[in-house]
Amino acid sequence: MTTLTRSSKQSLNSPASDQALDQARTALGRTSDRVYLDHNATTPPDSAVLTKLSSWALDWGNPSSIHQHGRGPKTRLREARDSVSKMIGASSLETIFTSCGSESNTMAVRGALSALQKKGDPRRHILSSALEHPSLRRTFDALKLEGYDVELVPVDRSGRVNEKDVEARLRPNETVLVSFMLVNNETGVIQPIKEITRAAKTVGALVHTDAVQALGKIKVDVKELGVDYASFAGHKFYALRGAGVLYSARGAPLDPLVYGGGQERHRRGGTENILSIASLGFMCSRSDEVEGRAETIRELRNYFESRVLLEIPEASITCLESPRVASTSSLLLPGTDGETLLMSLDMDGFSVSTGAACSSGSPEPSPVLLAMGLTREEAQCSLRVGLGWSTTREEIELFIETLKRVVTRLRGLRNWHPSPTEEQVS
Amino acid sequence: MNEFSDFVDRSPVGPDGRRRRVLVAMSGGVDSSVAAALLVEQGFDVVGVTMQVWDYTSCDIVEGNGTCCSSLDVDDARAVADRFGFPFYVANCEAKFKATVIDPFVAGYLEGKTPLPCVNCNTFLKFDHLVTRMKELDCDFLATGHYAKIEPGKDGRPMIVTSDDSWKDQTYFLFTIDPSVVPRLMFPIGHLNKSEVRNIAEEKGLLIARKKDSTGICFVGTQGYTNFIESQVGREKLLAGNIRLHPSGEVLARHDGIHGFTYGQRKGLGLATRADRTETESPLFVFKIDPVTRDVWVGEESCLFSTNVTVKDARFLGEIEDGERLKVKIRYAHKGAFARVHRKSSDELEIEFEEPVRSVTPGQAAVFYRESQLLGGGWIP
Repeated sequence: MTTLTRSSKQSLNSPASDQALDQARTALGRTSDRVYLDHNATTPPDSAVLTKLSSWALDWGNPSSIHQHGRGPKTRLREARDSVSKMIGASSLETIFTSCGSESNTMAVRGALSALQKKGDPRRHILSSALEHPSLRRTFDALKLEGYDVELVPVDRSGRVNEKDVEARLRPNETVLVSFMLVNNETGVIQPIKEITRAAKTVGALVHTDAVQALGKIKVDVKELGVDYASFAGHKFYALRGAGVLYSARGAPLDPLVYGGGQERHRRGGTENILSIASLGFMCSRSDEVEGRAETIRELRNYFESRVLLEIPEASITCLESPRVASTSSLLLPGTDGETLLMSLDMDGFSVSTGAACSSGSPEPSPVLLAMGLTREEAQCSLRVGLGWSTTREEIELFIETLKRVVTRLRGLRNWHPSPTEEQVS
Repeated sequence: MNEFSDFVDRSPVGPDGRRRRVLVAMSGGVDSSVAAALLVEQGFDVVGVTMQVWDYTSCDIVEGNGTCCSSLDVDDARAVADRFGFPFYVANCEAKFKATVIDPFVAGYLEGKTPLPCVNCNTFLKFDHLVTRMKELDCDFLATGHYAKIEPGKDGRPMIVTSDDSWKDQTYFLFTIDPSVVPRLMFPIGHLNKSEVRNIAEEKGLLIARKKDSTGICFVGTQGYTNFIESQVGREKLLAGNIRLHPSGEVLARHDGIHGFTYGQRKGLGLATRADRTETESPLFVFKIDPVTRDVWVGEESCLFSTNVTVKDARFLGEIEDGERLKVKIRYAHKGAFARVHRKSSDELEIEFEEPVRSVTPGQAAVFYRESQLLGGGWIP
């Protein structure tokens, strides 16, 4: 077990907040000597979020109440909505709070199609890709059974959807919805949503983008992208779990998934989760930090990747040449097995993943990597490393050393040797 | 291949002061949970793993908490790991399990056999896949909740011997283990009987203590194996035919498929209504299933007995002398009978029983013992 000395750890947070974070970690039964490199699965709540929790929790009233107890929570809700809207470039009327990214995705697709169907819209063709989050892939599977024609645009090893491939598949009077993610959760590749949207609009299709992995990593401006719907989730951006956002452009058709007491302007029923929503609002109020943080992370990530390429024979980085967010690295480590690698690294104190977090805890080779044309063997020896705001140089150094050691051991057990014909060039 | 040393110190802490690490195969049941708990208590550095072998969401099986390795059982195993604070992982073995356990199971029944899927699971998953995992995760030992023991033999080399609970003893399922792996295995509950294991679970507050035993085949569940097979193959693959009476060959009834029968079966043959058989006549038993003619042969009880059995694909965990007198079990529930075991070829044996044994069943294994030591076994073709 690797024990990290935190004394030398240079934190980006103030010492006082760091202490609060450590206290909170201890309260949650976590040891702070672990290195967390799975920020694409979820981010730890920011230390400033943790210090504000109790004050938000004290606004426990129902924001829909007319009496005084409703005032505080209502204000929290409005403030959060304003800062989220500002960060994504929307008007606050276009910002709907949900419970999570999956709900936002489902609501966008279901809500749009349901509203159009009611108006007698006959269009049934949907364009998407195999890179999407399961909440969309499974929704599309269900829609196929309901008579929709869902077409997945093929993607190559670049991990980037080509807008030309989307354009070629658009069908006037048939294509009703186009849905592509803004940032892929496994490779970090940024998709050309603006270009896709422009093409889709020429046939009058609605456009949704799953921007869950983009929030807090790159600048997101829904107006600039031109989409009708965009999904976000707070827990990928250092806020608490339990708050998602659906941006729905003014005038875009949208039926509710959850009917209720008129919350979110009758678009999403249910008493609002003020605590989570406030934390997301708070993080969005810090949107001006995003760029600087991303730069720091990019330097660390690039350093990490160059060391991996240099020191682990035949290692490669998936989608290295594609436009990527700063924090994500999808490693391909031949001669290993992602599942074993993950377990070994976990026991050594490092939290990483082999792909999307899966509730069963039993990873299959990533469908995203397979869809990009990686072989099953390649997908099985892939490892996803997700850096975050609190990741330090020291953590990266320790991780590289451990990764090298574990990979070498696993390769030794498998009698794997670098192929003699390919010379290592880096 | 003998990559492991034959003599391994089994104390929880090595001479270098490092705690020895044990990978424990956890099904979520009482036995493997107690096995893990005992190792923690002894001071080993325990790592738990559950093999996810079957996607219970993709089939009609009502997920049975009580069969092994359903997703509810994974939760139970994880709860035990949380309780003691050791690392726990789920290993995805679905594809391997289908190829090495489910498919041969279904094929076996369609060949008129009564397969032993638990042996295949042990051969290809527990004592192969998990042995690899043990090495990869830098573990010194692999432990399971089997009722079996590891004891030093005369030469000091570890050997597998029967459990102290002769009723639960599971060494029958372990005959295919590679002998080179034995020094690295642990069966922490082998010296206990089932009620003692349950008591320990109660004492340690493991909530699974009252869970019922997983005696059935884990992936079949409550639906019965015939329904399971029918759910796995097309109707056209089922081999319907006649039930014939020995020795006349008279057709007594039609049947829907040979997969619905097993050797020694007496009930459920669909012969109850036959008018000309009186109650004084002796009952009929299945004693032969022919996948070529699709005939299921029934006859009087005496047809079931045989003295000589040839077994194939024999595996050995210890040396045997040609013609040695050993105790041989021909099915899990068989008490065992004495026989001379002759080598016919490198992997074929002729077993000559002292007294005729009942229902030697193709697809099952003949497993032999010298006193309590598991020596090996072979498949009944």
